[in-house]
Amino acid sequence: MTRPLAGQRAGDQQDTEARLIARAKAGDAAAFERLSGAYADRLFMLLLRLLGDRGEAEDVAQEVMLRAWRAIGSFKGRSSYFTWLYRIAVNEANRALERRARRPASVPIGPDTLQLPAASSDEPANRAENRELRAALVRAMDELPPDLRIAVVLRDVEGLSTQDAADVVGVSQAAFKSRLHQARLRVRAAVGDAALAGSGA
Amino acid sequence: MPDDHRWAQLHLSHYVDGELSPRGRRRLERHARDCPDCGRAIRAMRALVYAIQGLGGPAGVRAPATIFDRVRLAGGAGSGPPERV
Repeated sequence: MTRPLAGQRAGDQQDTEARLIARAKAGDAAAFERLSGAYADRLFMLLLRLLGDRGEAEDVAQEVMLRAWRAIGSFKGRSSYFTWLYRIAVNEANRALERRARRPASVPIGPDTLQLPAASSDEPANRAENRELRAALVRAMDELPPDLRIAVVLRDVEGLSTQDAADVVGVSQAAFKSRLHQARLRVRAAVGDAALAGSGA
Repeated sequence: MPDDHRWAQLHLSHYVDGELSPRGRRRLERHARDCPDCGRAIRAMRALVYAIQGLGGPAGVRAPATIFDRVRLAGGAGSGPPERV
């Protein structure tokens, strides 16, 4: 399942985005806020998923916007604006995760950040099982090293294409696929095939 | 063949994501027919990806209103005087 990036929208909206980028590059902060504000919710969700802590995600989100504002002059349009902004977010999340790794106690991904209520189509009998599987998946993903966690979150949770996700991380598609595969193998090993067999796939 | 097995194990994600060439796909499928281990691995990988995709996130999460605070403090915004902290 690959969802299109929000930056790849109808032509008139792209025109609007191009105009906002030009104005932001010329120093118009209101244009920058409109441009980046369109992606703010999705960006914040990504940070929540990567960091698992709302306070830290808020802090990093502010830093991402500040860095994007300071760097907007160097945005060349080789990727979509959304991909560029996501790249800054992933870099900042990585820095936050590295800072956390240096601290003695790590903050795990909280259960409230990754869990959705069970889909309404789920059979009631399956819900408890799904809850357990979700919790196991969240735990397993939380234990991944940051580069592997980022790979699986971008590709499988966020639904970016391999090309977009590799672009956001700043590695080749082959390198990204290898990371993603490693991440999935580790999560599979941690969760166990028996738990996955009941997931309804 | 051991080479096919090693290759298949390395490319399970590519296969499940539909990112193998037709030739690669045939190679993996040919091997998996005779290899219970790889057959099981394909099923587990499909189930895993499906489950992770289903994690989603809390519905209706909104970015905090403070998200542009540092941009404004940096003297960017035309919307009001910067707050002192």
